[in-house]
Amino acid sequence: MLELKHISKKYQSRMLADDLSLAIAAGETVALLGPSGSGKSTLLKIIAGLETPDAGSVWMDGQDISPLPPERRGFALMFQDFALFPHLSVLDNVAFGLVEQRVPKALARARALAMLTLFGLADQARQKVWTLSGGEQQRVALARALITGPRALLLDEPFSALDAELRSKLQQEFRERISSAGMATLLVTHDEAEARAMAGRGVRLVDGRLQPVW
Amino acid sequence: MMKSPVRCLLPLLPLAALLLLVIAPVLRLAWEGWSGAPAHDLARWQPWRMWQDDYLRWRVLWSLAQAAITCVSALLLGLPVAWVLARFEFRGRQGVLRLLMLPFVVPTLVAAMGVLALWGPRGLLGAWLGIDLQDTPWLLLYGNLFFNLCLVVRAGVDALGQVSAQRVAAARTLGATPWRAFWRVEWPVIVPWLASSLCLVFLYCFSGFGLALVLGGQRYATIEVEIYTLVAYELKLAEASVLALWMLLLTGGVALAYAALEKRLASPARMDPVGRKRPQGAAQWLALAAALAVLLFFCAAPLLAIVWKAAQASAPAWAQLLDDEALAALWNTLRFSTLALVAATVLGLLHALAARQSVAWRAAAFLPFVVSPVTVAFGLLLLYPQWTASLLLLVAAYALLAFPFVAKSVAAGLDSLPPHLSHAARTLGASPWRTFWRVTLPLVRPALRRGMAFAAATALGEFAVTLFLSRPEWTTLTTLIYQRLGRPGAANLEAALVLACVLMVLALLAFMLIEWPVRDPRIDTARPDSKNLRVAKGADFHHA
Repeated sequence: MLELKHISKKYQSRMLADDLSLAIAAGETVALLGPSGSGKSTLLKIIAGLETPDAGSVWMDGQDISPLPPERRGFALMFQDFALFPHLSVLDNVAFGLVEQRVPKALARARALAMLTLFGLADQARQKVWTLSGGEQQRVALARALITGPRALLLDEPFSALDAELRSKLQQEFRERISSAGMATLLVTHDEAEARAMAGRGVRLVDGRLQPVW
Repeated sequence: MMKSPVRCLLPLLPLAALLLLVIAPVLRLAWEGWSGAPAHDLARWQPWRMWQDDYLRWRVLWSLAQAAITCVSALLLGLPVAWVLARFEFRGRQGVLRLLMLPFVVPTLVAAMGVLALWGPRGLLGAWLGIDLQDTPWLLLYGNLFFNLCLVVRAGVDALGQVSAQRVAAARTLGATPWRAFWRVEWPVIVPWLASSLCLVFLYCFSGFGLALVLGGQRYATIEVEIYTLVAYELKLAEASVLALWMLLLTGGVALAYAALEKRLASPARMDPVGRKRPQGAAQWLALAAALAVLLFFCAAPLLAIVWKAAQASAPAWAQLLDDEALAALWNTLRFSTLALVAATVLGLLHALAARQSVAWRAAAFLPFVVSPVTVAFGLLLLYPQWTASLLLLVAAYALLAFPFVAKSVAAGLDSLPPHLSHAARTLGASPWRTFWRVTLPLVRPALRRGMAFAAATALGEFAVTLFLSRPEWTTLTTLIYQRLGRPGAANLEAALVLACVLMVLALLAFMLIEWPVRDPRIDTARPDSKNLRVAKGADFHHA
């Protein structure tokens, strides 16, 4: 279970998080809603270890992981612009996390190829990521996030860069893949329809506090 | 993101370099200026004395005047050329734009030799037209334009690329003629860019050393040459210090103006630039031909003249390349430059990484540009007299002059990287060091290469510092050319031309490194955007 305990974060004079707490069980997907600039992405970065909260702690499976750097938390973060590495091939992008876990390169690539086959992208494995379409890049980003078997998946507006038709198609595909992976998932979005389609529970971030939506 | 102790330690090395090799020498100069004069002649150390001495006043005023004349000439010639290159599409346009980079990597002494090969005694054009420009200001002014016209043209082309096509179209539909549209819509956009490049032109010309030493002669040498003469030949250190401090004050003022303009220019690039069209009608073709002729005359002719004169040189002039003296000079040039390049790369990378967090750090990279090489060398001479003949100090001074190119280029490269990439790497399990190695470094490699190439060109063509700090057995190609020029006779001039040709080839190799096309669209930093232009503009300083 992923838990946020009494997180506070101030940016300039604005409270982005004000004594905020949240728990997400394994296999559960929670949507975090809120307007632009409300602090949703900052909260995601705090969970990932990319930002430090002013107060509070992040717990995973009963252990306080606040002192851990991002690379030791075992989470996966998917960004709005996918953040694929443009100098690497599709295959090496997906294998990136495994290589960092000291998996031998050949084995990492074999596993990445298997993952890409599962995502229907085996034919594009050797291509550079910038040659792919938006939807394909999105799938590569999810494959890269899931391949290391993260304990929690953090999604930061993952569909906002896609057109409406592709978005709806990918939402369904992502929901299935995430639920079969069985990890705690936090989806940040400003689109309530998307949130309802993807998540079993929704909360809204208003003035640094969380309000349940459904 | 959490700050690691390593990140806090990053700035220490470049900080130490700047403190020990720029700030401390300048302070030592100031001390020498205020305290070094003989006690019985207090008037000598008064800083304003320079303005009361007719000879020194002439030197300063001429230094200011030649810089101002070059600025005006470069603007008048460069703006129309830039307009033609920005608005007309023609075959070879990209090649012309690439060749505009050439003067940035040509060492000062090579440029001076090119001017002499064209207009000097038995120069190609001088002899043909029957004109002798020796002991006139025109040689120096022409040499100044060789370097600076390209700078203004590149700035102009880039600035005109910032003009919004929609705004020009709006002006035209509101009744403006093409000229009125240029004046009321385009001109206000490009003025800051031009002003910024003219600041650099002024700085370079005002604090120029190599060109003024070779082309200025007795009468038209600049204040930097005077400082060198006072130190090297007359041993008047206090007087030289006062002059150096005045130089610093004046160049510092212009550098501040430049920094202020640069800040204004830090706006996002415009997405709807005015389209280029093929020239139509005789007048437009004539304008294109005239623009290319101006570039050929001012920017290419001196280099072509060197090649031509070197090709015509006698066999003994070429045979000297196998002399022990020339081979030693080539070896020294290569080893000093290589050592300096390694040091400059480390310093530049560390500086750029530190500069991500601090605007003050970013500005600090500009410091070695503002303090002229003559001032740096003179200050080092005073501060570390026991090390003046040490290789360490010489290489450190080379590295100091070269590292800002790496720092500025890499900083621009880092700026253009989306922060999400390193965040993604961290959440995928990469430590900060692994993130730098696997993600950041591969992506800024083109910017690093570009900065290193400018740094290499700077080190290869270094002249002023070598003249001050070198031992006789450490002669480099630049100082050997200067020695040959100082010896009488046509054979020595020929020998200098051949050496200049060799140095030019080395510089061209650096040029190819810079401008080798990178076709990979993944690397934002490889694009010739405004940031890279500013790096290129900064490159002009190495000619001082």
